Amino acid sequence: MEDKAIVVKNLKKYFKDVKAVDDISFEVGYGQLFALLGQNGAGKSTTIRILTNLAVPTSGYVEVAGYNVLKNPTEVRKNIGLVAEKVILYNDLTAMENIKFFGRLYGMKDPEIYDRAEKFLKLFDIWDFKDILISKMSTGMKQKINLARALVPDPKIIFLDEPTLGLDPVSTKHIRDFIVQLREEGRTIVYTTHVLHDVELMNVDKVAIMRKGKIVAMGTLNEIRKHFKKAEIVEIETDRTLSFNDPKIKILEQEDGYAKVEVEDLNQFMSYLTKANIKVRSFKSLEPSLEDIYVEISEGKLDAEIETVKE
Amino acid sequence: MRIWDIAWKDLKVFLRGRTRVAFSILMPIIMMLMLGFIFPKTGGSYSGNIGIYSQDLIFNAKVEKSLPASQTNKMIFYNSKQDLIDALASGKIMVGAIIPKDFSLSIALNRPVTMDVIPSPANPQAGIMMAQMLSDMFGQAGSQNIKQNIVKSNLINADGTNFNYYDFTVPGLMAMIAIMSVMTGLASAITRERELGTMDGVMVTPISRGSIVIGKILAQTIRGFVTAMIILVISWLFFGVSFSPVSLLWTVFLLLLGTFSFIGVGVMVTAAMKEQETAMITMTTITFPMMFFSGVFFPIQQMPKVMQYIAYIFPLTYAADALRNVITLNVGWNFIWFDVAVLAGFAVVTSLAATFTFQKLIQD
Ligand SMILES: Nc1ncnc2c1ncn2[C@@H]1O[C@H](COP(=O)(O)OP(=O)(O)OP(=O)(O)O)[C@@H](O)[C@H]1O
Ligand SMILES: [Mg+2]
Repeated sequence: MEDKAIVVKNLKKYFKDVKAVDDISFEVGYGQLFALLGQNGAGKSTTIRILTNLAVPTSGYVEVAGYNVLKNPTEVRKNIGLVAEKVILYNDLTAMENIKFFGRLYGMKDPEIYDRAEKFLKLFDIWDFKDILISKMSTGMKQKINLARALVPDPKIIFLDEPTLGLDPVSTKHIRDFIVQLREEGRTIVYTTHVLHDVELMNVDKVAIMRKGKIVAMGTLNEIRKHFKKAEIVEIETDRTLSFNDPKIKILEQEDGYAKVEVEDLNQFMSYLTKANIKVRSFKSLEPSLEDIYVEISEGKLDAEIETVKE
Repeated sequence: MRIWDIAWKDLKVFLRGRTRVAFSILMPIIMMLMLGFIFPKTGGSYSGNIGIYSQDLIFNAKVEKSLPASQTNKMIFYNSKQDLIDALASGKIMVGAIIPKDFSLSIALNRPVTMDVIPSPANPQAGIMMAQMLSDMFGQAGSQNIKQNIVKSNLINADGTNFNYYDFTVPGLMAMIAIMSVMTGLASAITRERELGTMDGVMVTPISRGSIVIGKILAQTIRGFVTAMIILVISWLFFGVSFSPVSLLWTVFLLLLGTFSFIGVGVMVTAAMKEQETAMITMTTITFPMMFFSGVFFPIQQMPKVMQYIAYIFPLTYAADALRNVITLNVGWNFIWFDVAVLAGFAVVTSLAATFTFQKLIQD
């Protein structure tokens, strides 16, 4: 058995005429934070549902925690936790009752459940609300309890399907930071989002961009950036007039210490500036940013280039 | 243990909703009262005359001696079928019975006999009720030791005198309402949970899908039991249904078995539905015809033959029949074992089927 948390090969899921997932393959190593990025309807949730044994694939091979999802579903389920698009909590039960109910289904004893719940709820600063009905809570509180619910059984691999949907920026940041912390604890995390910014801020190990059921780009953020970005345009304000003898750096405009420069390798450009001891007053990366690339990928404008990314 | 966790959670969630609890207590009460009271009052007070055209001379001689006409229901003898029909049409009689030539002889010989009964088109319900009364009276008039089915659609009370249409409907109503409340419960316990997404949460845990189903069945059976108790009290308070200690035990047992026999079907239907609304409509589509087919309101023997075959598809038919035997006739195991066996069969087969298909039904 390979030492991979998740192995997906040629996975397809067709609903009548919709190709929700259309021949995707990827691997996630143990301890990695893997992001599935894509617009609405890209097929992220369907992929998660198959990986968590909630949906049956049309074809393809799926292995989670070393077990075939179709042949050993129970073993798979013992090792995973899920935060789905819809909050998995009963409105008519309190936070603690919910956590206890789900914990017991993993065969945990009540004191153990209680201790772990205490740890997470205190961490999220909602311990005081443990005996409040879910129906009386705000979206942000619910989502934190939902996370605690998924983590109490201590799953090796955790699936988070848009966990920050509908949350305010502060709660979003809390959850994002918490996910990064989970990764540091050595947990494997599969995270889906349609927000590129989240992926950038969390410093994910690997990201797969999905479009219409296909993975159109995969790798680290830098790899993706490099692949799609032939050159970057920067606006820079310095204490002197610039000139470079490098064909990879083109000065587009220059006036009164202000310059617009097209660079192929930003790192190299920065080291030139440092070496020459040039003081930078302001610096702005114009285009194309990763955001632009992501939008273009999502809109299908980069399809020709995409063919070459697929390993 | 985990099965119980599932069941207990379902019950707890159910109990937390105040309106939900209030309605599920009120539902059987209202249903019993409404369905019970839409029919005219008890046997002695049916107003209307009974018309008889008899081709049986022995019957004519006998009937005057052994059957004193009651105050409210007068018997009028006619000389031809046409006279009888005319009397019905003019509203002089509520029901017309045509006694065949060999009627008394058959009864004396303990042979089954059919009598044609024409209820008044103006009030078929009362007519049918009186028809039942009639066959009851004639059956007993013939001989003391005849069995219940000699005269077709013959319904006998345990005490033999006070025939009452409630005694016919109430047992079936009890079973039907218990089953209906469980069907509603299932729609929320399965389809709604699915809609809300909590079902996914349960399904990603290592618990087996079979345990989920059994837990849900357990919770709904308990609910059905509570409903059955409410129904029991209502029928005792308002409908004068009396129970001996033995028949009470049988009634409780049969109500439980009746609900249980239907839950498997309910689980399969609700698991296959994605929206609660669809599940509800489907449930109604099944339960609504069931209540007419299963002899709750009309005796199955009075239905056309084809309909009678359909009636035997529904477990409610057996539950109603057994309950009627237990409550109305106050008889025990010897008279209900067949119904019990069929119900148990239904219960086991549908629960197993539900357990095995649950996974397929619930997954996309
Ligand atoms: N049960 C289903 N039956 C039919 N079609 C489905 C089903 N589930 C998903 N789809 C379709 O599959 C496609 C992918 O849906 P999916 O939910 O996986 O997308 P997503 O990437 O999670 O989108 P979002 O960001 O909106 O959550 C969509 O076109 C959707 O309509
Ligand atoms: Mg989704």
